[in-house]
Amino acid sequence: MSYIEVNGLKKTFTVRKKREKGKLLREKQTVEALKGVSFSVEKGDLVGYIGPNGAGKSTTVKILSGILTPDGGEAKVGGKVPWLDRKEYVKHIGVVFGQRSQLWWDVPIIDSFSLLKDIYRIPKTDYDNRLKELSDALQLEELMRTPLRLLSLGQRMRAELCGSLLHRPELLFLDEPTIGLDAVSKLALRDFLKWENREYGTTVMLTTHDMEDIAALCSRVMVLGHGKKLFDGKLPDLLEKFDTVRTVSVRYDSDVLRIDMPENVKCEHKGEEYILTYSPAEFPTSRLLKALQDAGNIREMTLQPENIDHLIASMYKEMDL
Amino acid sequence: MRAYLTVFRMRMHMELQYRGAMIGGILCQMFFGIVLTALYRALYAGHPQAIPIEHVVTYVWLQQACFRMLVSSDPDLLDKIRSGNISYDMCRPVNMYWFYYMRIMAQKLMGSIMRGVPMIVVAALLPKGWGIAWPHSFAGFCAACFSLVPGLLCMCALENITMGFTMRTLDPRGIQSMLNLLMVTFSGNLLPLTLFPDSWQKVITFLPYAQLLDAPIRLYTGEYAVSEALRIIPVQLGWCFALTFLGMWLWKSNKKRMIVQGG
Repeated sequence: MSYIEVNGLKKTFTVRKKREKGKLLREKQTVEALKGVSFSVEKGDLVGYIGPNGAGKSTTVKILSGILTPDGGEAKVGGKVPWLDRKEYVKHIGVVFGQRSQLWWDVPIIDSFSLLKDIYRIPKTDYDNRLKELSDALQLEELMRTPLRLLSLGQRMRAELCGSLLHRPELLFLDEPTIGLDAVSKLALRDFLKWENREYGTTVMLTTHDMEDIAALCSRVMVLGHGKKLFDGKLPDLLEKFDTVRTVSVRYDSDVLRIDMPENVKCEHKGEEYILTYSPAEFPTSRLLKALQDAGNIREMTLQPENIDHLIASMYKEMDL
Repeated sequence: MRAYLTVFRMRMHMELQYRGAMIGGILCQMFFGIVLTALYRALYAGHPQAIPIEHVVTYVWLQQACFRMLVSSDPDLLDKIRSGNISYDMCRPVNMYWFYYMRIMAQKLMGSIMRGVPMIVVAALLPKGWGIAWPHSFAGFCAACFSLVPGLLCMCALENITMGFTMRTLDPRGIQSMLNLLMVTFSGNLLPLTLFPDSWQKVITFLPYAQLLDAPIRLYTGEYAVSEALRIIPVQLGWCFALTFLGMWLWKSNKKRMIVQGG
């Protein structure tokens, strides 16, 4: 049996609509946030969980962290059902909600940490060692006496992460941990997560909109849309499915009147530049190059890098999300 | 257990930071104390009542000094419920009800000590008939202090019920203004319960609100004999259990219908 086993998980929310004219009661509308999601995760895995806004990612995380009770289906983490024995279960998990804060706004972060120490009943020496280790890795030492309200977003996120890991959770849920962070903070956060996973075998489940997070961290990715699981596998496999077109831009020494290209190659002319979009599967790259060379003297040519966000956008589009 | 004590200590410590609010609160409550005292003195000048004026004035000052205990909600907790930050507290291995209970208690206790102690000192220095009188007897004073404990526990339980309702309505204002109206009326903050008609008193002294401050204050002024504490304290404890039980049930049923909105 896997560490996390989720089977046909369902969650419905009831939303009351605005009362329509002439009607006495407001109409109720049910929104199916999860329509039977199943997956399993092994211990020590680093899993990315992606999908457009409103796909049900956070709902899954909230159910698995014991906050919400699902309407149907089952889930077991390390043999325990999260929502049934909440108090016992949550001792072994850590959660970071990127948009929320667990530390006290008006008090130094070290005080919030020592409250967490008492909440999780961490022995003193263990706590001291762990705090030292985490504050080194997350560069928090100088911020310990600062109240949370004075920290920048990046500093705060590092402090939040430290707070969630003090009790050495076996399983860590990260709900958009890199939201609003600058490049340096993001890279540091990713390095840290990789280190934590490698060092302690912490299982990590990460939801994000930042595809770089997934590419840098996750060996496996699950795509969720409209409350259903649409893909489960390795990121390169996912990309390969949708990564079908290439874009090349070319400049010539002198004006070129016309480039001979078959119909399945899109050719745009912008100023001096020609932008060609083609699919290597339909039209081999070598033939494209030959055609380009035949048209004139090439001064400059660039192959535009694949943009992971574009890929995901086209994937969502194709999956009708 | 440690966690509950730590959260209590931390919240007390945090309250100490809000010294501006403390000064504002003291000034406001001093103003009300003086105005109400003047009002009752004028009333007595025209039409003396059965209860001595010193008792009424002492009652008013003690009520004003403890105002913070009666009607104040921890803005952080309400904000957590509104914003959904409560979800962090829900993934902690603690009992949510008692965890919040301790925070509420710390805030109420520290808030009223910070405001109440200076106010009582000032009110004790006012001329006789305007300020606080000495307790009726030493035993009465001890009984009053003792019955303040179940009073405080009742107040925290009531506040936690407000929290429980806020989880359903998401906005505390409706339930708060309704409960606060009941609170200031039936706790004796607006008008000392001793001045209510006798027939009314038979009922309102049994309501939970009368257990908070009214009972301790009457023990202090000697209106209730010390021996009556044996009758009062069981009533207080009874309400303590009932309100706590109600709050816990509310929290538990909230857990099942919990929705955390947004993100």
